[in-house]
Order: sequence, then structure tokens, then C-alpha cells
Amino acid sequence: MAAYVFRRTLQAIPILFGVAVIVFMIVQLAPGSPIDRFRTPRVSPAQLEALTRLYGLDQPILDQFVKWITAFVQVWRRDAWGYSTLDGQPVLASVLERVPATLRLMGLSLLVTIVVAVPIGVLAAVKQYSWTDKIITTLATIGYAIPSFILGIYVLYFGGVVLKMFPLFGMESLGRGGGDIFDLAWHLVLPVTSLAIQQIAGWARYMRSSMLEVLHQDYVRTAKAKGLPRARVLGKHALRNALIPIVTLLGLSIPALLAGAAITEFIFSYPGLGQYFVQAVGVRDYPVVLALTMVGGLTVVLGNLLADVLYGVVDPRIKY
Amino acid sequence: MDRIEPASLAGVDTSARDALRSDTDEIDLIPVRTFWQLARQRFMQHRLAVIALFVLAILLVMATVIPLATGIQYRLSDLRLINDGPSLTAPLGYDEVGTNIFIRLAKGTQSSLIIGGAAVLIIVGIGTFVGAISGYAGGWIDNVLMRMVDVVLSLPVLFIILMIVSFFGVGDIRVVIIAIGITGWTLAARLIRAEFLTLREADFVQAARALGAGHRRIILRHILPSAMAPLVVAAALGVADSVVTEAALSFLGYGISPPDASLGNMLNKVRIYFFSAPERILYPSVVLVLIVLCASFLGDGIRDALDPRQRIASK
Repeated sequence: MAAYVFRRTLQAIPILFGVAVIVFMIVQLAPGSPIDRFRTPRVSPAQLEALTRLYGLDQPILDQFVKWITAFVQVWRRDAWGYSTLDGQPVLASVLERVPATLRLMGLSLLVTIVVAVPIGVLAAVKQYSWTDKIITTLATIGYAIPSFILGIYVLYFGGVVLKMFPLFGMESLGRGGGDIFDLAWHLVLPVTSLAIQQIAGWARYMRSSMLEVLHQDYVRTAKAKGLPRARVLGKHALRNALIPIVTLLGLSIPALLAGAAITEFIFSYPGLGQYFVQAVGVRDYPVVLALTMVGGLTVVLGNLLADVLYGVVDPRIKY
Repeated sequence: MDRIEPASLAGVDTSARDALRSDTDEIDLIPVRTFWQLARQRFMQHRLAVIALFVLAILLVMATVIPLATGIQYRLSDLRLINDGPSLTAPLGYDEVGTNIFIRLAKGTQSSLIIGGAAVLIIVGIGTFVGAISGYAGGWIDNVLMRMVDVVLSLPVLFIILMIVSFFGVGDIRVVIIAIGITGWTLAARLIRAEFLTLREADFVQAARALGAGHRRIILRHILPSAMAPLVVAAALGVADSVVTEAALSFLGYGISPPDASLGNMLNKVRIYFFSAPERILYPSVVLVLIVLCASFLGDGIRDALDPRQRIASK
């Protein structure tokens, strides 16, 4: 097991390296340069050239890449990810400052998703072709077709404007410093709901088909034939096996969750990594954009890694 | 069907010929149906797909005819008509800068469909190319290409698309299409590869190879037509994804920017609408959801229609 985790982690490194190459290439291919923001009539060409040399922009691309990537992995240094061109703050610190907010949002959404979607999917599968099943399947199909940003807008509209129960923006009330858990939770209700709904739709459909497949297995029929109580057959024999493929979904849903979180944060003016990225990309804050894209790539890779490892944990039939 | 055989043939085994004859008689009774006629019958059985086709056709006609008939009216604002109510020429009224919402909606639908269609061409193009070569060649080529797919799959797609669009030109429809296309082809590639892997060893491919067909001919003429089903699924998903991504980009302010129309940028100023005109959130949302739903239903329908193994219900 430990050997497998180690091997699998090693495999993630070249993938992350590939992500770094692609991200770096996009920046290189894009028109414009990081020193463009100094380009005003009052700055002489000689000064611009000095800046180009200072930032190492006159060196071969390969050298620039090596320089960037070696600095980037030294995360124990404060300036490893450079300084934001917008506010001059070290990027690493700014990112770390916003990580908890985004993790809270994503984690809670995932939790809500699992808690809601699994019973719904099981219910639909157990009562296959009944009205309950039809309603759940139809709602899930429609829910899946609604783009996440439209869901966000409507959740905000109903929760904040129609019901007037929840705040319209932000992570905490003005003037109330962090630490007030109720205030944080109150602000999280709508973003978490909107991020969870679309995930629920996808997960419920997946759970339904996974459960249906298990229900037709021989061992479930055997359990029924033995005269076991229905709850025991469903809970112990069917559900446990139906949950195995769901674990894979955990890893696969990370990219969508990340994108959804970014859009949700933008809609709710929630100060997390996604909102930070949307702001930074608009003003070409290169260090921030590079750092956040790499963090995003790392999240996706870690998600897949986690799913693969968990798969082995929950399914004893898998051997490494 | 007794036939009197000429004496000279007596004793010769004629069962094969007779079987052929009686077959011919049977075929005369059932009308001959071509592959496409069968496909159409299978498609018509798919009620949702037929409805989806119908709705999509209406949207397509609206998105073509209305912008053609009204020219650049979608970007003209009239200060006297700001927030004007519905009328005969403007069934949905005017927005906060005094442009005709209905015409903007039609134009926005047009950009969505154009972007969806163009991006899916790139997605299917790259996906088929990579998937076909990977599945057909196998070995180290397959390995290298699949690691490439792994890397692209690990990209935080929305971040990358935002990055490409904002660095290469905000508001340029071509950049949006390319950004969506070059990040979205992995699913198509995987599906096509899987199909090629199994079909590569199929008897009809072996036969073609034995007859001396070259790789290009085998890939293009023999395997690819049989790999249509996953291609259609990938294309349908691709259209839906591209349309949604473009709308999200424009909503965030990085896709198509006003005065150009997009379903996404009609929702840019959504916070104003909350209190003054919530119904304006509904229009672009409904069109978007319709496009996504129709694309996936239509995809299912076409996939089943093209699959010769699907049975046709007898009437």
C-alpha cells in the first residue's frame, strides 16, 4: 500500500511538470511582456532595457523556465512565488491567506453533495421506474444542464433578495473580525448551496446507476433469498458496493468543483482563490496568475491521487 | 413453391440455389431500407431527441433570421427607450442602456451557437486525431499521447481558458473559440482511442489489411466510420460544454464584451436586475439551459440511431 502511494506520487510529478510547461508556454506565447506596465512616455528606452535585464527577460526561454521553476518549488522561502505586480505583496503569502476560505467553500459543498446525493440516488435506484425515480431523474437531468453561474445567480436572488435571509456578498460582516463562526456560516450558506446543487445532480445520477448495477448482482439476490431483512440487504450488501465507484467521482469532480468555486466566489464576492485569480488575470498580474494556475493544477493532481488511493482502501478486491 | 427441375439437373444438389431463390422472394415482400432510412427510424423512436431537434431548429432559425433582419440594431442604444416596457417591436422590452432585449437575445444565441459549433470542430478534430493515432498505433506512441492527455486533464481548465483569453485578447471571438477548443479535447480523444483499440483487431480490419490497405485507408475508411457513436457523444457534450464555458467567460467579463451580444454578458449587470428587473435574468438563462439540454438529448438520439445493433420497434 505504502509502496503504491509512493509510486503513484512519483507519477504525479511529471504531470505537474507538464502543467508547468504548458502554463509557462502560454505566458511566453502571449503578446505583451511583464514590463509593459512601466511603458509610459516618461520612461526612457534605456530604462526599459535595464528592467528587461533586471527581470531576466532577455535570457533564453529555457533559462527563464528553469529559473522560474526552481524558485517556484522552494515554497519555504517567502519570495518563492514572486511579488504581485498589483500590490507588491509576496504571492505565496497572499495565496496561503486565501486558501482556507476556498477550502471551506469546496469542502462544505462536497460534504453537502455527498450527504444529499447518495440517499437520493439510492432512493431512485431502489424504486426504479416509479414516480419518485422519474421525478428525481428528471430533476437531476435539468439540474445538471443548468450552468453553475446561473445557479449561483438564482440562489443569490432567492436567498438574498426574495427571502432577504442571507447576505448578498462577502465572507463576513463588515466590522466583525474573523473568528465569529456563526457569521462565517451565515455567509457560507448561499455559496455552498449554489456550488452543491450542480454537483448533487451529477452525483445522484451516478449513484443511481451504480446502485442499480449492484442490485442486479447475484450476491444481492442471494442475500434476499436467505430472507435477510430488506434494510440489511440494501444497506450492507448493496450500498457498500455501490459506493465504491463513487470514490472515483471524488477525484474526478475536483476540476469542476474548482471552476465552480471560482465562479461562485465571483458571484458572491467571496474572497477566495478563484476571485483572486479572476482579478489578477484581468490586470495581467503574472506572478499571481502563474502561481494560482499551478495551485489549481496541483489540486487536480492531488484529487486524482486521493481517489486512486481511496479506491484501494474501500475495495479490498483491488491489489497493488 | 414447387419448381420442376429440368431432368439434366436431377441429382445435383440445388439446395443452395433454392435457398437463394426463396430469399429473393422474401426480400421482394419487405421494402428495402438503406442504412440512413433505418437510422432515421431509430432516431424517430427517441421522443426526447426529436423534441430536442425541433427546439434546436427553432433556436437556430431565430438566431439566423432575427440578426439578419435587424442588422446592427442589437448594439444600438436609444437613451429615450431605457428600461422601456415590452412592445410589438421589442417583445421583451429594452435594457438599462436602451437596447432591444429580444434582438440582443437572438444575437447572443447566435454567438453561442457559432462558438459551440466552432469549438466542437476543434475538440472533435484534435480528439479524433490524437485518439485514432493513439489507439491504432499502440506501443510507445500511445503511451506518449496518453501522458499528454493526462497533463491536459490535470489543467485547471477554467483558469487556463481565462488566462488565454485575457492574455491574447479579451472580447475576440476567435480567441474564445480556440481557448475552449484546445483545452476540451481530452474526453473525445479517450473515447475514440478506446474504440480504435477494440476495432483494430476486428475481422473487417484484418481483412482490409490482408487486402493490402494502407494505414491511412484503414483508419479513415474502415475504423473511423464504425467509431461514430462515441464521436457523436463527444461532440454533443463538447457543444454543451463550449456554450456554457463561453457564457461563463462572458459573464466574468472576459469572453465577448458589450456592445457585442452574448448570453453570458447579458447577465453581467445581474446585481442591478435583482431589484429592478429579475425577469431579465431568466431570458438568457432559459436559452442557455435549452441549448445544453437539447445538445445532450440530440446526441443520445443520434448515437442510438447510428448504432446498427439498436433494434427498431415493430409497429
